[in-house]
Amino acid sequence: MIPEVIVLFLDRAIVAIAGTRDERLVPHVHRVSGWRCSPDRKTITCLIPEEFTAHLVSSLEDNGQFSLTVCEVPSHETYQFKGEYVSSRPSNEGDVADFEICRRRFAERVASLFGFPKEACAAFVPEPSIAVTFEVREVFVQTPGPAAGRRLVPREE
Amino acid sequence: METTQLPDEIKPVMENGVPAEVSSCSADGIPNTTIISQVYYVDREHVALSFQFFNKTVRNVRENPNASVLLNDPYGYACWILQVRYDHSETEGPIFDQMDMQIEAIASATGMTGIFKLKAADIYRVDSVRKVTLKRPSTDRS
Repeated sequence: MIPEVIVLFLDRAIVAIAGTRDERLVPHVHRVSGWRCSPDRKTITCLIPEEFTAHLVSSLEDNGQFSLTVCEVPSHETYQFKGEYVSSRPSNEGDVADFEICRRRFAERVASLFGFPKEACAAFVPEPSIAVTFEVREVFVQTPGPAAGRRLVPREE
Repeated sequence: METTQLPDEIKPVMENGVPAEVSSCSADGIPNTTIISQVYYVDREHVALSFQFFNKTVRNVRENPNASVLLNDPYGYACWILQVRYDHSETEGPIFDQMDMQIEAIASATGMTGIFKLKAADIYRVDSVRKVTLKRPSTDRS
C-alpha cells in the first residue's frame, strides 16, 4: 500500500514519466499527462498521450512491468513506483479533470521557475489518449542526494 | 520520422538546460525511469549521459546496455526520443571536463550545488532518433 504521505505528494507533484520494456529487454520512456492513486492506495492510473504510446501496450501485454517516476519542483522531491500492469483503456471524460489539474500545475510552476511561456510549458502535458493502471509493488526515494535509491515500500530492513 | 543519426537541430536541445528522462532495464526485466540533468552531444552517433550517483540506471546499463532517452525542447514545442546502447565510461578527457563544467552550472542554477557531482561520462551509441512534435494548446486551456 502506498503511504498516505506519498499520496499527498502525488497531489502536488508536477512531472511524471513512465517506463516499460519490451520482449527484448529494450526499455521505452513515456511522458505522463496525469495520474491518480486509487482510494485503497494499491494502484496508480497514468494518463498517457498518443505521442508517447509507442511500444506501451505491447510491452505491458508482453511482460506487465511498469515504472513511474514522479517529481516535484523546486524541491526536486522525487519517487519512483514500480509494479505490475493491471489494465488499460482509452482515456475518457472522467480523466479530464486529473489531466487539466496536472497540466495547469506543471505549466504554472515551470513557467514561474524557469521563465518559459506558460503556453510552451502546457504543450509538454498533451491530452491523454490512454489510461494505464498498475499495481504498485515498490516505492523508491529518487530525490537527488544520499537517500536516492532507498526503498520505502516495502520498507528496507 | 525516425533516423539513426543525431541531426544538427538536436544540438541546441541538449544544451537548453531542461532536464531529460531516461528509462533503463535490469537484466531480470524490471524497467527503471529517472530524470537527469544533462544529455551531452558527442557526435552524430553518440551521446553521453552524466553519471553522478551510483544509481539504478548506472547498474542497469552495465548488465543490459539498452536505454531510452526523452529530450525536451520547450522552444521548438517538441520532444526527442532516443534509443541508445551503453558503450563505455570516461572519467577524464574533453567530454568529461565539458560535462563536469556544465553540471556545475546546472547545479548552481537549480540550487543543487554540492549534490550534483560528475563521477563519469557514460557514452552511449545511438540506435534511433525520433522527433515528437507537440501541439500548442489553446491559451484558454493552459
